[in-house]
Amino acid sequence: MRCGNGIEARQVDELFINIDPIQAGGRLTADAMKAVIAYGDGYSVCDNCRKPNRLDYISKPPIADFHTDVARWLNMDAVRTVPGARRGFQAVAQTYVKKGDPVLLTTLSHYTEFLAVEEAGGIAREIPASEQKLVTPDAAAAKIEEVRKEFGRAPVLAFIDHVDYQYGNMHDIAAIAKVMRQYDVPIVYNGAYTVGILPVDGKALGVDFVIGSGHKSMAAPAPSGILAATAERGAEVFRTTSIVGDVTNRKFGIKEPEMMGCTLMGATLVGMMASFPHVKERVKHFDRELANHKLVTDALLSVAGTKILSEYPRKHTMTRADTTASFDTIAATHKKRGYYFSSALEEKGITGVIPGATKVWKFNTYGMTGKQAAHLAGAFVDIARENGIGVN
Amino acid sequence: MSKRAVDMTFQAIYTLTDLRVLLRETAPGHEFDEGQKVQVERLLGNLERQVASLKQEMLK
Repeated sequence: MRCGNGIEARQVDELFINIDPIQAGGRLTADAMKAVIAYGDGYSVCDNCRKPNRLDYISKPPIADFHTDVARWLNMDAVRTVPGARRGFQAVAQTYVKKGDPVLLTTLSHYTEFLAVEEAGGIAREIPASEQKLVTPDAAAAKIEEVRKEFGRAPVLAFIDHVDYQYGNMHDIAAIAKVMRQYDVPIVYNGAYTVGILPVDGKALGVDFVIGSGHKSMAAPAPSGILAATAERGAEVFRTTSIVGDVTNRKFGIKEPEMMGCTLMGATLVGMMASFPHVKERVKHFDRELANHKLVTDALLSVAGTKILSEYPRKHTMTRADTTASFDTIAATHKKRGYYFSSALEEKGITGVIPGATKVWKFNTYGMTGKQAAHLAGAFVDIARENGIGVN
Repeated sequence: MSKRAVDMTFQAIYTLTDLRVLLRETAPGHEFDEGQKVQVERLLGNLERQVASLKQEMLK
């Protein structure tokens, strides 16, 4: 079935249990789907834009209220919507980082944080993760001292992922933020895998910025996200324009340079808004998600030779598995080679594992029903048995 | 064309959207439990009424 010239209608999530690690938290709610249908046209949210003509002031649809509600929900003072978490990183880096400034990241940081630093002319310095793949406050303090020796000053900014994309490990960001405050280093909380998934309280964590991804974790269309700030930092990153045209003498009101004026002006924003009540509710039930996830990891670990490379027990539903000594042992002799694994999963109605991957791969169980989690758990065990791999 | 026809078009799409979400929640087997069967019956009933209204509005 096609929905346009050469565009197949995507039915992945209707036909399969989708365990793609980055797609789980971004699946739309029914309300978001409905909102996208109604607001798919370009500047659709601008019908009732009135002075002072800025997105976050529009009251119909209730965009202004949405900004207020998100700030309150995250316990931060100011919020803007952004086209993806990466544009939030970019706005903050452009505000605080000048050419040659050292910026702290970690060895588990997402590449877009590096690019944001690079674009601003900064120099990346990584806090090393421990053997357990955790970023600790001690390692953060040691790296700041190292930077001070190298540059003669502290880093100007730090980007720390609460849950990293590589292992889905949860890092002690409150303790790391405490260290940053001791050195007066503004800290960006990267909540791409947490905001919209589990409760986040910016003030309790002691961070300057909270950045979330709409399409990764807030059941919203791509590209969408939020950038939240404390009152002090908000005044800096959300400063208004002061430029004047020399011929026309034009000024641009209260537009914000880091936001490039208005940000999300249609289906992305309204989709995120429509999902928001459901997102606020679902973060309260993350324990259910972890229970479903445990069902699946227990099944995987019952397959002889399988390891979980992420911290264990799991604190998040995105996990990195190592099946080199289990499912990969079949790949060398199987007629489909390494593709047998994703193919077998697909035959059982499961998708999202990279085709050909049998050694190290990630999956995410977020948003599954208990029945779907049981089906997935059973499928891993069945595939092992069907291929002569031991199951404990 | 009436406002009612436009409303009914959206309502029918939204009913189908609710059915779509149900298909997602029950993938891959789409085996409905008793509660879901009741929900499907209700949604399909709504859809039939909405389509009937659309016929009335758009073919008169």
